[in-house]
Amino acid sequence: MNKATGLFALIALLSGCTSSMDEPPPSPATAYVPVYYQQENVYAVKAEAAKPISKAGKQYILGNLLLQNELNEGIHLTDVSNPALPKKLGFLSIPLCTDMAIRQGFLYANNYDDLIVIDLREPSDPKVIKRIKDVFPPANQEYPPFFNVLFECPDKKKGVVVGWELKNNISANCRR
Amino acid sequence: MSINNIFSRLLFLLFSVALFTACSKDAAQSISFQGGQGGSTARFAINGAYLYTVDESQLRTYNLTDPANPIPVNTQDVGFEIETIFPFGNKLFIGSTSVIHIFSIDNPAKPEKLSVAISPTVMRRCDPVVAKDTVAFATLRAGAACGGFQSILAVYDIKDITKPVQRASFGLNEPRGLGYSDTILYVCDPPGLRMFSIKDAFNPRYLGDLKDGDFYDVIPYGSLLFSQTKTGGLIYDISKPATPVKLSQLQ
Repeated sequence: MNKATGLFALIALLSGCTSSMDEPPPSPATAYVPVYYQQENVYAVKAEAAKPISKAGKQYILGNLLLQNELNEGIHLTDVSNPALPKKLGFLSIPLCTDMAIRQGFLYANNYDDLIVIDLREPSDPKVIKRIKDVFPPANQEYPPFFNVLFECPDKKKGVVVGWELKNNISANCRR
Repeated sequence: MSINNIFSRLLFLLFSVALFTACSKDAAQSISFQGGQGGSTARFAINGAYLYTVDESQLRTYNLTDPANPIPVNTQDVGFEIETIFPFGNKLFIGSTSVIHIFSIDNPAKPEKLSVAISPTVMRRCDPVVAKDTVAFATLRAGAACGGFQSILAVYDIKDITKPVQRASFGLNEPRGLGYSDTILYVCDPPGLRMFSIKDAFNPRYLGDLKDGDFYDVIPYGSLLFSQTKTGGLIYDISKPATPVKLSQLQ
């Protein structure tokens, strides 16, 4: 274990979720609420028809091809040969994808905690041709990345925690 | 359009990319078209035959000599709360919430830390960074998620890469990504996209704003400026970098 991991583990121990039976039930307050990603298989990658951008993520350009990330959902492929009239080509559904790059017809992207390679040269059937496991640490599944805050205890059954939203009027059971 | 047709079109694009790359090789561009281009908030960067990725604390290096089969060749600790990576020449600029780490990739398989750029003005913030010649530009965003009290555009002298020095700063609201074309620097900062003349890099001159959207990041690419906004994106013609012309909206 390296130093940084050790430190985080220590912090986790010291400041982990506390919900004691002796405490009175929490009154509604401003608290962090987990944002879940709900999909049974977070490693299911597939090509889909073009669709509108909903939560715009990062972009990557190569020649006339623009990749537009759909936050945590995948990548819109857009032909920008005519930049005045960009044409959406399709959508690659890649769960929990936020980043991407291309080299020589191969697309590299993060798919949750894996790095995947998609062969874009096979036009009818873009396939994941390589998967390197566990190279991106997933978001902490136990608590938000802040101190001295109230938060709703995450429920594993609801899916993978991908972020936290500050909301009012929450009966939060956890604190760190 | 069927998925089949869609990806036939994609194949064509990938081929035209090869042509485009070949044609632009001689152009005196400071960005590399060879591996494509991401924005200043990217966590992936390709330089030559190597892919670099950053997560919260680590920099990973993959050899892409066989692009279908990236080989992990190196993993190293960089620091805490790493957010962005920007390749420039034989350097990697890695932004975190506290400092900018500068790495040499003279040996591309094993990046070596050269220095850390620290702003005396703002101690804690989010740091997308880009570099041009011997100057690095970073937006230091203070605020709830980033900590700190004041946001700025910071300009570092990196002539001596082992000792980066902040030479100028400009107050901003809540800046995000940034990019430059020629002598114009574009900075995403609500309520728009701010433009600075960086002809005199250590004395950036504010030119005005584009107020077409809520800008998150920009990618200057040849004569085009791609921008990521809250709702999608906008493409501008920047043949004249100081006067971008809106071409289209991505939605």
